[in-house]
Amino acid sequence: MDTVSIGQVDIRRRVTRIATFLGGAYFFFYFVSPQSVIEHWGIQEAHEPISNGFIVIGTMAIGLGIINILSTHGSKVIFKRKGWQYSVALLLGFLAIVVTTASQWLESLRVSERVQSVQVLGDFAQRIIEDDQIVSGRREGVVKSMSPAGALPPLSARISALVHYSELQVRQIHADVARWRITPNTSQAQHELLNELEQASREVEGATVTLRHLSSASLGSADEGALQDLSRKAGKLASAFSLVMRKNASSTLSQRMYDLLYNGLFNHLGSAMFALLGVYIAAAAYRAFRIRSVESALMMIAALIVMLGQISFGKHLYSELPAIRQWLLEVPNSAAFRAIRLGAGVAGLMLAIRMWLSIESTSFSSRSK
Amino acid sequence: MNGFEHATPGVLFLVILAMVLLFRELHRIQSGYQHFIRRIPGIDALESAVGRCAEQGRPVMFTTALTDVGPVLFACLGVLQALAKKVARYKLKLVVPQYSPETMAVVEDSLRAAYHDAGRGSSFDPQSLVFLSSEQFAFASGYMGLMHREKPGAACLFGVFAAESLVLAEAGQQVGARQVAASVSPEQVAFFICTCDYTLIGEELFGASAYMSREPVQVATLAAQDRFKVMMCSVIVWGVACSTIASLWPSLRILMPHDVLSADWLAWRAWIP
Repeated sequence: MDTVSIGQVDIRRRVTRIATFLGGAYFFFYFVSPQSVIEHWGIQEAHEPISNGFIVIGTMAIGLGIINILSTHGSKVIFKRKGWQYSVALLLGFLAIVVTTASQWLESLRVSERVQSVQVLGDFAQRIIEDDQIVSGRREGVVKSMSPAGALPPLSARISALVHYSELQVRQIHADVARWRITPNTSQAQHELLNELEQASREVEGATVTLRHLSSASLGSADEGALQDLSRKAGKLASAFSLVMRKNASSTLSQRMYDLLYNGLFNHLGSAMFALLGVYIAAAAYRAFRIRSVESALMMIAALIVMLGQISFGKHLYSELPAIRQWLLEVPNSAAFRAIRLGAGVAGLMLAIRMWLSIESTSFSSRSK
Repeated sequence: MNGFEHATPGVLFLVILAMVLLFRELHRIQSGYQHFIRRIPGIDALESAVGRCAEQGRPVMFTTALTDVGPVLFACLGVLQALAKKVARYKLKLVVPQYSPETMAVVEDSLRAAYHDAGRGSSFDPQSLVFLSSEQFAFASGYMGLMHREKPGAACLFGVFAAESLVLAEAGQQVGARQVAASVSPEQVAFFICTCDYTLIGEELFGASAYMSREPVQVATLAAQDRFKVMMCSVIVWGVACSTIASLWPSLRILMPHDVLSADWLAWRAWIP
C-alpha cells in the first residue's frame, strides 16, 4: 500500500514538474522570440486563448474561497465558538449579497432578452432585403435566411412572418405600456418615456401595414424602401423600449437591494476604512518621529523639510525649501526606490527560474544524496 | 525596443546569464561550499517572538496580503514554512488571513507540508487559513477584526501591499503584537518602518527563507542573485561612465549599455557581419 502511495506521489510530482516546465517554456519562448517569429508561427493567434485559459483556471479558485468562508464560519456558528455572532452576521451578509446579485443579474438578463426580441425585428427586415439582393445578383455574399431544410423560403412567407412578428411585438408593447401607466408612483419622466415608446410602436405599426399586401416574387424599389423604413423604425422602437425597460428595472426590488448593499453600504464602508488611514498616519508618524537614534533624527529632519516644502508657508521660512524638498524626493528617495526595485526584481527573476525548472530543495538534496 | 511583450537579445542574454549563475552556485553548494549569510535582525526577532507567543499562549499571525501566485508568494512561503514548523513544534495556533482564493490553495498545501515535516501533520487545522475577501479594504477590515479577536503575540506581514498596509500594521500595534514586515513595494516600506518592530526591505524578503532554513538550494539562489546584482551594478557604472564621457566629449561615439540592451533583433543582425 505504501509503495503504491509513494509511487502515486512520485507520478503526481513528475506530472506537475512537466506541466510547470511546459507552461514556463511557452511563456519564456513567447517572451524572448522576436515579433516576426511569433507571427510567422501563428503563435500570436493562440496566445489569447492560452492566456484566457489561465484566467479560467484562476477563476475556479473562487469556489475554494467560498467553501472556506462557509466551513470556517459555519462550524463557528454550529458549535457556538467564541465570536459566533460575527460569523452569523458575515454569513447573512454573504447570503444577502449572493441572492441580491443573482436576482439582479437574472433581472438584467430578462431585460436584455426582451429588448433583443424587439431589436430582432429591424434585423429581420434588413436580412430580407440583403437576401433578396444576393438572390437577384445585385450583391455578393451568402444567403443566410435558410429554412431548416436548407432552402430559402419564398419571399411572401418571409414577409408574412415579419408582419406577424411585428404585430405580435407591437401588441405586447401596447399591453406593457398600458400596464406601466396604471402602476402607482410612475413619475412624469417615465410618462414621457412611455409616450415616446407608444409613438415609436405606432410608427412601426404603420410601416407594417404597408408590408401586409406585399406578395411579389422579388422586391421592387418601393418594397425595399418600405422594408428599410420598417427596419429604421424598429431600431427606434428598440431603443425607446430599452430606455423604458432599464428605467423600470432600476426601480425593482432586486436593483434597489443591490444599490443599498453594494453602492450604499459596501462602497461607503470601503471609503470609511480608507479614511482611517489619515488617523493612522498621524499615530504612526508620532511614534516614528520620536528622536531616539541618528536614523530617526535623519528621518524627522527629512520629513520636516518635505512637509514644509510642500506648503506655501515653507517658502516664507526659507525660499529654497521647495527646491530642497524636490531634490530630496528626486535624488535620494528615487535612488532608494530604484535600489529596492532592482534587488527585488533580480531576486524575483532567480526565483522564477527556480520555479520554472522545478529546482526544489527536496529534489536537490535527494540528488546530492 | 519591442516593448514588454517580447524581449530583445540583450534581455535574453541577461536571463541566460542569470540561469548560468544559478547553476554555477548550485554546483558549488553541491561540492560543499559554505556561503556566509549576513544577519537579518527582523528574522531573528521573529524567532524570539514565536518563543514569546509560546510563553504567553498567544497565536501567531501571518499574512501575504495582496500577493498573487508568483515569485513573491513563493518567497513568502519559504518564511511561512519555516515559521509553521516552529509553531507546530511549540503547539501554537497559527492564523493565516487570505486575500486571494488562488493563493489560499497554494498556502494551504505549503502549510500542510510544513506541519508534516515538523512531525505534527495531524495538528494542522485547515481553518487556520481564513479567507477574508478579495476586496482590498474589506480584507483590511476583516484582518483588523481578526487581530482584535485573536490578539496574536506576533504578526508577520510579508508580500505585496498597497494602501491597506498601515491599517494592517496599526491593528497589530493596537493589540501589542511584535510585528515583522517585509515588502517589495517601496511605497509601503516607509509605513512599515513607522509601525512595525522590524522591517525587511525589498530583496531581504527573498533572502529571509534562505536565512531561516539554510537549505542549499535557497542559499545558492541567494548567492546567484547577489552575483547577478553585482553585474547589474557594473552595468550601471558603465552607463554612468559613458554618460559622463559623452557629456565631456560630445563628439565621441560611445556604446551606451542602454543601446546594447534595448537593440532589437534587426539591429543585432545589422551589427553582426
